[in-house]
Amino acid sequence: MDVSYQKPLPQPNADDRFFWDGCKKHTLLFQKCRNCGLVRWPPSIICPVCYSQDTEVIEASGKGKIYTYAIYHQVYHQGFRDEVPYVTAVIELEEGPHFLSNIVGCEPDNVECDIPVEVVWEDITPEFSLPKFKPVL
Amino acid sequence: MGLKDKYAIVGVGYTPQGRVPDRTALSFHVEAISNAIKDAGLRREEVDGLICYRHFPPLGGEPDVTPYLVAQHAGLVPRVISQEANCARSQLLNAMGWLDAGLCNYVVISYAHNPLSGGRSFGQRTDNYTKAVFGQFGATSGYAMAARRAMHTFHTGPDTWKHIAVGQRKWANLNPVAVMNDHTMTYEDYFSSRWVVEPLRLFDNCLVTDGGRAYIVTSVERAKALQHPVVTVMGIGQHNPALEIEQATNMAGPTGARLSGETAFAMAGITLDDIDACEIYDCFTYTVEITLQDYGFFKPGEGESWFEGGTIEPGGRMPVNTSGGQLSEAYFMGLTQITEATMQLMGRCGERQLGLQTNTKKPEIILCSDNGGILQTHSTVILRRL
Ligand SMILES: [Zn+2]
Repeated sequence: MDVSYQKPLPQPNADDRFFWDGCKKHTLLFQKCRNCGLVRWPPSIICPVCYSQDTEVIEASGKGKIYTYAIYHQVYHQGFRDEVPYVTAVIELEEGPHFLSNIVGCEPDNVECDIPVEVVWEDITPEFSLPKFKPVL
Repeated sequence: MGLKDKYAIVGVGYTPQGRVPDRTALSFHVEAISNAIKDAGLRREEVDGLICYRHFPPLGGEPDVTPYLVAQHAGLVPRVISQEANCARSQLLNAMGWLDAGLCNYVVISYAHNPLSGGRSFGQRTDNYTKAVFGQFGATSGYAMAARRAMHTFHTGPDTWKHIAVGQRKWANLNPVAVMNDHTMTYEDYFSSRWVVEPLRLFDNCLVTDGGRAYIVTSVERAKALQHPVVTVMGIGQHNPALEIEQATNMAGPTGARLSGETAFAMAGITLDDIDACEIYDCFTYTVEITLQDYGFFKPGEGESWFEGGTIEPGGRMPVNTSGGQLSEAYFMGLTQITEATMQLMGRCGERQLGLQTNTKKPEIILCSDNGGILQTHSTVILRRL
């Protein structure tokens, strides 16, 4: 673990604290509507489809595919100064939600839309772990 | 529909633009407003509605630019005021609503910002930590993701976007107040500009501009008594898909432009064949492509061949962003488009004026778009010279 972590840290709020607590245990947790079955992200008090508040939390498989991605060449934040070019991507998870993360373990030029990926965990501080994704070979 | 040709734009206010140091955002607002009121031939006492288009946090030492502070400095005592906090892009529709309700006679809409000299960009916000923790900042990345998905979905990419960047630059080269007036751009220049967030290069990005812009809306009856040719709102529409880019599935179309455009064209009672020119919101080159595509100018993937041969340039069959747009004139959000369309329809555009001198059709009807967020909000305005 890097004690001099220079990038922005999660700031959990009342809606999404369960998610970051899950990440700390290397589990990817999402809300699922008990009425219509929608697995949702970002978290919310209601299901945006059926307005039910009856919600359970499920653990996602961590598998999905890259819906789209962007390759950062410009440094917007000093914490990422040594990382460019790096890849942010929207992951279409098996369970349905689209989740923004990074693609790791792969040269930026080899990233493509729709290729399969799976979660890998990055322990950034004693409090937080980030779910990142690597291509499944 | 009831609003067709009922309201008109009667004055436009400019300020110095580009890199303009030692100026507060407030100063650009009041200069643009006062110039718009003078341009319309009105007295400030007659202006009874004020919309400040978009709020930005003030730079250190500058006052927060509230609409009441702007009113005070512009000597206005409006009956109705408002300010858009983010990117709803509904300022003209709001103004028409106030006029239609009989609450106001003349509404002034202003935009002003000093991000360039203030050393501020749209990219540095870290207020949404769920993005920032992964290094996702600014608008370029969101549009880069949209553009990338589009490249995966239909035929598009830099070979399409180069036509937009270069074509708009040619208009800017005819516009003495355009920031890029003195700078030509070739396709080679486009391809040699640096990546910002791939697949978007620097020349796919709009400018960051100090300055302000304002315009005045009133009834057609009042407009006829004023000094300029009457430019009416023939059709207006909005549609707001609203999803953050991280959850959106319409980034390769149809965006909000589809339904917004259909609404505006239905109100105007016209088709694409009646459009003489377009002023399309161009935060990025891809935005221009997807907007024109969703309006129906070409089918998905046919943009490159539609743009080819100088379609949107001076002398082209469908001029687009005739001031240079936000890529090459100046960035005043949707006011860059609306004010340029108004000036073109009034016939006040000098060297870049549509018509004989630019080997284009003298414009009667111009299609304008505005969109906000990452393709989350969209507004369409069809203006015509009465
Ligand atoms: Zn539900």
